[in-house]
Amino acid sequence: MVSGIYFCDIKGRPILSRRYRDDIPLSAIDRFAPLLADLEEESSVIPPCLNHRGIQYLFIEHEDLYVVALSTSLATNAAQVFTFLHKLVEALGDYLKTVEEESVRDNFVIIYELLDEMMDYGIPQITETKMLKQYITQKSFKLIKAVKKVKATARPPTGLTNSVSWRADGITYKKNEAFLDIVESINMVMNQQGQVLRSEIIGQVIVRSRLSGMPDLKLGINDKGIFTRDPETGESQVTAGKKKSSAELEDLKFHQCVRLSKFENEKIITFIPPDGEFELMSYRLTTPVKPLIWCDVNVQVHSKSRIEIHCRAKAQIKKKSVANNVEILIPVPDDADTPSFRYSHGSIKWVPEKNAILWKIRSFYGGKEYSMAAQMGLPSINGVEKPKFKRPVQVKFQIPYFTTSGIQVRYLKINEPKLQYKSYPWVRYITQNGDDYTIRLN
Amino acid sequence: MPPLDKRIKKFIKNSLRVAPRVSNKGELAELRAALVSQYPQTRKDAIKKTIQQMTLSKDVSSLFPDVLKNIATNDVEQKKLVYLYVMNYAETHPELCILAVNTFVTDAQDPNPLIRCMSIRTMSMIRVDKILEYVETPLRRTLQDDNAYVRKTAVICVAKLFQLNKELCIELGVLEDLVSALDDANPMVVANATAALTEINAMDSSVVNLAELINSHVSQFLLALNECTEWARITILGALAEYNARDSLEAQDIIDRVSAHLQHVNPAVVLATIQVVIKNYSRTEQQNPKAFMNRLSSALVSIMSTPPEMQYVALRNIRIILEKYPEVLTKELRIFYVKFNDPLYIKIEKIDILVRLIDSTNFKQCNMLLVELKEYAMEFEPEFVSRAIQGLAQLGIKYSEEKFVAKTLDVLLELLEGHENLKDDCCVAVCDLLRHSVGNDTMANNVCSVLNSWSSVESTLTSDAAKCNYIWLMGQYPDKFTSLESKLEAFVQEFPQEEPLTQTSILMTVVRLHSKLSGNILQNVLELATNSIHELDVRDMAILYWRCLSVSDSEKLIEELCSSVSPRIENTLDQFSADVLEKLLTELSTISSILFKPKSDRNTSYVQRQYVVRGKQMDELKDIAKTEIAKTMNDDVLLDFDDDDDESNPQISGNNNALDDLDELFDFGSVPSNSANVDQGMKNLNIQTQPAKKTSNTQDLLDLF
Repeated sequence: MVSGIYFCDIKGRPILSRRYRDDIPLSAIDRFAPLLADLEEESSVIPPCLNHRGIQYLFIEHEDLYVVALSTSLATNAAQVFTFLHKLVEALGDYLKTVEEESVRDNFVIIYELLDEMMDYGIPQITETKMLKQYITQKSFKLIKAVKKVKATARPPTGLTNSVSWRADGITYKKNEAFLDIVESINMVMNQQGQVLRSEIIGQVIVRSRLSGMPDLKLGINDKGIFTRDPETGESQVTAGKKKSSAELEDLKFHQCVRLSKFENEKIITFIPPDGEFELMSYRLTTPVKPLIWCDVNVQVHSKSRIEIHCRAKAQIKKKSVANNVEILIPVPDDADTPSFRYSHGSIKWVPEKNAILWKIRSFYGGKEYSMAAQMGLPSINGVEKPKFKRPVQVKFQIPYFTTSGIQVRYLKINEPKLQYKSYPWVRYITQNGDDYTIRLN
Repeated sequence: MPPLDKRIKKFIKNSLRVAPRVSNKGELAELRAALVSQYPQTRKDAIKKTIQQMTLSKDVSSLFPDVLKNIATNDVEQKKLVYLYVMNYAETHPELCILAVNTFVTDAQDPNPLIRCMSIRTMSMIRVDKILEYVETPLRRTLQDDNAYVRKTAVICVAKLFQLNKELCIELGVLEDLVSALDDANPMVVANATAALTEINAMDSSVVNLAELINSHVSQFLLALNECTEWARITILGALAEYNARDSLEAQDIIDRVSAHLQHVNPAVVLATIQVVIKNYSRTEQQNPKAFMNRLSSALVSIMSTPPEMQYVALRNIRIILEKYPEVLTKELRIFYVKFNDPLYIKIEKIDILVRLIDSTNFKQCNMLLVELKEYAMEFEPEFVSRAIQGLAQLGIKYSEEKFVAKTLDVLLELLEGHENLKDDCCVAVCDLLRHSVGNDTMANNVCSVLNSWSSVESTLTSDAAKCNYIWLMGQYPDKFTSLESKLEAFVQEFPQEEPLTQTSILMTVVRLHSKLSGNILQNVLELATNSIHELDVRDMAILYWRCLSVSDSEKLIEELCSSVSPRIENTLDQFSADVLEKLLTELSTISSILFKPKSDRNTSYVQRQYVVRGKQMDELKDIAKTEIAKTMNDDVLLDFDDDDDESNPQISGNNNALDDLDELFDFGSVPSNSANVDQGMKNLNIQTQPAKKTSNTQDLLDLF
């Protein structure tokens, strides 16, 4: 298991550390920076798991930090360590807003405290921020509670070790609401001719729960695999001749609050939500989709003099729909300069630090087609090498009130057995680009 | 700028504050004074400042007595700070902690569970035997605490105590308490108890019988599994993976009970589940393999949308799983296509998986991958490009159909012509393809006509492998090269400066072609190789050749030697040996599974680290620490060495040329008089050029022998 966790700066030098067991020499972490440097010199392939003198260095990068876990045993569960490191950064993010070198230096006390609570003897313990916040309250604690009474000393919440370890007792809201966001991110790679090389839809169901007590929720969606039987009427809702409207979701993943065995046996999604925002489930679909925003990009390089780029963008969505915040990032050679643009809509600028031009269109209505042309100068001197800018065109967009997969929420039933309050579920749909919505240039 | 009311509040607060402030300078004298100040707020600030200095790795141990005075307080936060300080110096100045022992014992009975935990947690980490003597009562009490939070902390303390002082731990009998914690009603306590027992078992397997405990608690584990935190689930799944099901029915039952966790959001839980499922699947009657594979595929695929480090673990594990169950994931090829923003280490692993994944009977799929790999080969990260080119050759050989190989070759030649910097990699790749399609003359013609046109090859090619291959090609198809002799001569001139692979290749080719070359080249090479080369294998080989050539009436032997045809290579993907594979499958998601180094069976020389300090002299303490550290380092180095030497450690390196070279050598070795020498030479060469790689080819060669 983990022998110690270290926060290191961008060069790999330790800033803050917590050692959980003393089976590694104190100086072990000092080898991390030279180790990285040596590797970088050799090649640019640096795996996140290094081995030096029998000590394993597992690390992740976050902002300008390396978060490193050291271990001595090959039997250490690497998957667990990496997930833990990510969770740790996530939890710190909830406390410090941004997790970077400066904020780590400023908040060492709270970080020590969290490290103590989240891991014991190298074994991960509790990482749920909502629970941690109830008894690790460095900053806010002294400000509010000190004024009140001594009575409010921090104690581990009783819920912590219960089977519902993610929700505390006694939460109350005046108005009980649950917000459901269905977010679908499209990853798609196209070539310049408009042929889709691959595409996938990654969907997330994000819940923001503002509900009192210990509510039990039941979610019905129109997935073929998921039985959306209404428990009261006993009727199955999907099979009412509406086969077309049901989607088949693959690779469903659930938040730990979902009763997995119940889903496994009865295909019903039931859960007691944590308070606040969380990702209830995620899914993936590989059904082919046509490009929602299509760009016909044409690049002409006249070496030694100039480069010409023509781009025609089309929103291939329903007339009524609109794509918001569309951004088209077209790569240009890094030695290009003096841009001049012609365009019908939106705004264009040259982003030299990304070696690209960025075309922004605030709202792009379905069926519309816009175009732009850009011309940039190329240096006339070194014309020998071919301009290297083999990067794809990246497209960003958001389309509200629309899901590509056709997933729909049939119902969200909220039941709090003791309080029996009235509650309001809200549902929102949005489709956006994933991190790989690109057009390859030849 | 904060809102006005906040600013007013702050102003009032500041102006009301009487407690003096502590500066940020961190001078010991100032801190000491502040630590004993009459104002609680000042004291608290001072502790914080002290800890700050501690973090900046300044030695503030001299403040220990003063900080300790602040431990008796009702303020939980302040107590935590003091404990933090104490815990830190518990490692370096254990003897100082004696001073705090009374407070620890009192705090272990505090009504607040948080404080009870803190005290027991700290106590069990201090390496002073005097403190360990005090630990008994609090530990026993907290193990039976009403509060599950305290119990889950206490069970881990047993493992800590065991590490510090095994004898004491056994004497106190807390191990029995730990075992009974496996039956605790709270799943988190069960999980931590399991983790603690696993740790103890790793330190000394004679104390508790872990396997038996797991056997008798399987039902508890399965029950607890659905009700605990994600981390506890991983621990419990880990324990379940150790369990051997009694029969196929039980194995099936376990699969059914855990497989819901394949859909857990935490990828580590998913991998742990996969391990349990795979282990038990081999024991069931495997009625519905297709559904099983689908389930497995979809779980593995889902990890591909997690952070890159997790993907890396998954990809390395997929590599292992694929070898056992090649049919898994065949439909999911697209998932492993490289994204332009993947980190480089992911991109390279992905290519490896892609080539392995491909169904060598599915033309459409292979063709798609061919196009994709070509695309990668035109990117600009050198490591990635070179892996993609290697991938192209692997793909061609795997699909094996003549037309397809020819098409792959065309792609490679096209790349070769367009890009100056790809010559090295492409040269190796086309030679691999030619080795696969032995006797295909058109292909050989195509390749040779391109390669032949290069001028000053010895400086165009930079890598050892590429030169070696080029020379091999000249040896195989001497008629297809113009001005062969001057080309070879150029290589021979550089002979002493070349690396061993190229040297070997030059030597072989020259011997092979000696009848076509003017006499002095052969003489020249043999002399160079025997006199000015320190590389043993090259030298030995040269001596052997020389002797062989100078033996009287050896025409037939030389004839055989020069006309030998290397066997066709069928597979360029390396594989694990069966027992390594089985071991790796039981170690999924561990570090050993990422490094492909299974834990060795022999007892992993665990040294019980008796750090416990009995004397109180500083010097003595330092000495103990020094020797301990030195000892640990030694152990580690030894261990490392063993691992590297491991025969089955499959390094990724795709130089098959060495195999062919070996083969030529083999022909030679059939002469009885020299067989002993050759045997030795071959073994050397084998180990030297193919670091512990076991492909079917090597195996064939050895068998032949």
